[in-house]
Amino acid sequence: MSQEQIDSLIRKEYSAGFVTQIESDTLPPGLDEDVIRFISAKKDEPEWMLEWRLKAYRTWREMTEPTWAHVSYPKIDFDQISYYSAPKSLADKPKSLDEVDPQLLETYKKLGIPLHEQEMLAGVAVDAVFDSVSVATTFREKLKDAGVIFCPISEAIREYPELVQKYLGSVVPQKDNYYAALNSAVFSDGSFVYIPKGVRCPMELSTYFRINESKTGQFERTLIIADEGSQVSYLEGCTAPMRDENQLHAAVVELVALDNAYIKYSTVQNWYPGDAQGKGGIYNFVTKRAVAHTNARVSWTQVETGSAVTWKYPSCVLKGDNSVGEFYSVALTNNFQQADTGTKMIHIGKNTRSTIVSKGISAGKSSNAYRGLVRMNPGASGARNYTQCDSLLIGDQCAAHTFPYIESKNPSAVIEHEATTSKVSDDQLFLCQQRGISAEKAVSMIVNGFCKEVFKELPMEFAVEAGKLLEVSLEGSVG
Amino acid sequence: MSQFLEQLASLRAGGPAWLQAVHDAGAAILRDAAWPTRKTESWKYTSLRPLEHINFLAERGHAINADLSQHFAIANFDAYRLVFVNGVFSANLSDLQGLPAGVELIRFADANASQQELLVKYLNSVVEADCHLFAAVNQQLIEDGVFLHVGKNIELNKPVQIVWLSSAQEKPFHIPQRFLLLAENHSSVILVEQFVSTADSQNSFTHGVTELCLQDGARCEHYRIHLEEQSAVHVGGVYASLAANSYLDSFHLGLGGPLKRVDVVINHNGPGADCQLNGVYLPQGNQQIDYHTTIEHRVPNCTTQEVFRGIVADNAKAVFNGRIHIHPQAQKTRAELSNKNLLLSDKAEVNTKPELEIYADDVQCAHGATVARMDENALHYFLMRGISRKEAEVMLSFGFINELIGQLKQEALTDYLRPVLTHWFGRETSLVDELAAAE
Repeated sequence: MSQEQIDSLIRKEYSAGFVTQIESDTLPPGLDEDVIRFISAKKDEPEWMLEWRLKAYRTWREMTEPTWAHVSYPKIDFDQISYYSAPKSLADKPKSLDEVDPQLLETYKKLGIPLHEQEMLAGVAVDAVFDSVSVATTFREKLKDAGVIFCPISEAIREYPELVQKYLGSVVPQKDNYYAALNSAVFSDGSFVYIPKGVRCPMELSTYFRINESKTGQFERTLIIADEGSQVSYLEGCTAPMRDENQLHAAVVELVALDNAYIKYSTVQNWYPGDAQGKGGIYNFVTKRAVAHTNARVSWTQVETGSAVTWKYPSCVLKGDNSVGEFYSVALTNNFQQADTGTKMIHIGKNTRSTIVSKGISAGKSSNAYRGLVRMNPGASGARNYTQCDSLLIGDQCAAHTFPYIESKNPSAVIEHEATTSKVSDDQLFLCQQRGISAEKAVSMIVNGFCKEVFKELPMEFAVEAGKLLEVSLEGSVG
Repeated sequence: MSQFLEQLASLRAGGPAWLQAVHDAGAAILRDAAWPTRKTESWKYTSLRPLEHINFLAERGHAINADLSQHFAIANFDAYRLVFVNGVFSANLSDLQGLPAGVELIRFADANASQQELLVKYLNSVVEADCHLFAAVNQQLIEDGVFLHVGKNIELNKPVQIVWLSSAQEKPFHIPQRFLLLAENHSSVILVEQFVSTADSQNSFTHGVTELCLQDGARCEHYRIHLEEQSAVHVGGVYASLAANSYLDSFHLGLGGPLKRVDVVINHNGPGADCQLNGVYLPQGNQQIDYHTTIEHRVPNCTTQEVFRGIVADNAKAVFNGRIHIHPQAQKTRAELSNKNLLLSDKAEVNTKPELEIYADDVQCAHGATVARMDENALHYFLMRGISRKEAEVMLSFGFINELIGQLKQEALTDYLRPVLTHWFGRETSLVDELAAAE
């Protein structure tokens, strides 16, 4: 394929780039204890929650930004970030989709997210987060019948304080890392899910995130508790409009899988990656972690195509005996995107098992790193890990890295790790082109094949969108 | 600042006058150096406490007069030999008879004017002392070393054996060790670096830097064998520069110690260079051992095959870090790394990190790492045939590393190492013969 062809393909624009004009109730930039009090008051939070936030804020102030990740970006000025933004139409909060701001619904339509169609189509309940406040929640009634709680976390803090108090920060402690501490102090909203004992959630739960207000940090907080013997599949998908200013996103996701529970957490992430010159784009510094108790199973599946800088390690603490952790990931970077992503599997219980399948694709001038930790604690007898990370390089200016940390303190634990790096082979391309398939289509096919192991783990509703996102991102990077 | 570095700052090493500039450069690096902690990535798993607790720097080694040849003799191995006892050259134990013309094998102290010129030019030309703290420590403290210069197109007829022997002294002491190889175009050399000690408990800290400078088409077979008594402390490194079409085959073997760390850095600086890097580490008791390897692919069309295997017994701890770095120009690189570990006890620990850092697209790179205990099925097979569990374990452990020992190009070294290793696994020599016969 010629250089001109590559260049023309690389120049493909971000298709989800537009801004919805909605008035927002935005706090001026800067962070101090008053800002936290304001956020807390705005959300009618109880006293204990405010205290919890303030404690996190004081911890955060003592901490320093981590620098170990294989990414570089201009230093973030935390005083230039606005820590609260809510759509104006919040005052009369809609009870159903009909009451939702039509402009907002229009936004989802442009993105191809059929919010009101989903009710009929897939039976997916959507807790849509537009900037920082939940404005549309569906299927609440149906879930209520099953005893499932699925609501904005701000509501859960008021309605189910005992559950929130017990589990919030139990998986990701406030002082876990710099961004987790920041999130604990200023988190705006997010989802709360509780699946009662023995209940299999009747539908897949889904949240679409969207960062909309310029210069507004998005600090989501998600807490999912699957009680004994329950099952839930949770989908998270995101896309953001085109911006020139870098936007910080520091979310925290905590999953608690009690005995015999199963949580499947799937993500499709397509935030604005910056333009072809590397200008703009989202900074995505996310802490995601799950605790799996006895016989529980946690599965992370992610398709990452967006963000200028990604720093994300969905992890499993396999605490209970026989618990299972899984991580399936496709991370695609193009232009000047940088991703440092991977997982941690901490084996504590006996006979715990984990599987890691990571597929990294780097194109353009991007950098894509897998960073993983597999730790076998002394008590993890009979534990098992299998890790496979493959990298595909498209273009001669991109970079792919693998940094797996493997620590074993138990002789009966078995760890296997393998990694490969290669480019799309000329032979494969030639074979396809010879049969009348365009280079672009051929690469798309090859990449899809490369990612198959991960795609097959995605729920049906997401698989379509994931394939679409990957194709759009790829169209601009074939070589 | 740590006590170690503080003390270092006040030390002045002797040696020939031309070394003074080398010392000063080393000292300059160390003035701003930070003492590694658990937060320092390259020392994340290995503790430097043995160096902080014992004052090694106060004393230097002294030669002793005794017949020590039993500690390093390799049967059926005819080589040019230099022996240093506690860092002091021993003429009696060395043998440099019959060196062919065009080959220089000398001590730094004996370098003539032209040799000094080469030494000044090539010493520290490969090692980046500002990135390796202990290379800088060594640079500041060296008083003597070995320089091997092989001229163009010369195939050295016998291997070169360099023995660093230590024996306990009254007070803890340190020994700087230094070696520089300059292999000119299309020359060929076999090199054995042997680190041994007397059988009694040691109180030395040895720090060594080996630089291998291979020019176009040069070939080098290199063996670095650490068989010191278990209380010896060592931090060292091998730094190689490979010019176009040169070939390096480097083999490493290490038993553990309170602190034992070897850094291996191979720089592919010329297209078509090829490197084979193999190693075996066998810590036991409360020992630890740490191998950090880095392969820098800076130019196109180079290849690397790296295999390290470790058996960790008792309460011992092993660290392996294998980094392969492909620079943007290094297209058509082929690089492979494999690291396998066997844990023999509940308290044994291994931390391995095979790293790939790739900035070129037309490359084929792969790495694999495994950690496990002995295969139960294989053990069962032995037990069924009336072989005791203990015996079966020994044979399986031996088999795990035998592959690497067995493929050494110098048969005499294989024969030398086998009994040492079977002894390590707690067996009598009769099994050695058995295993050798089974080959």
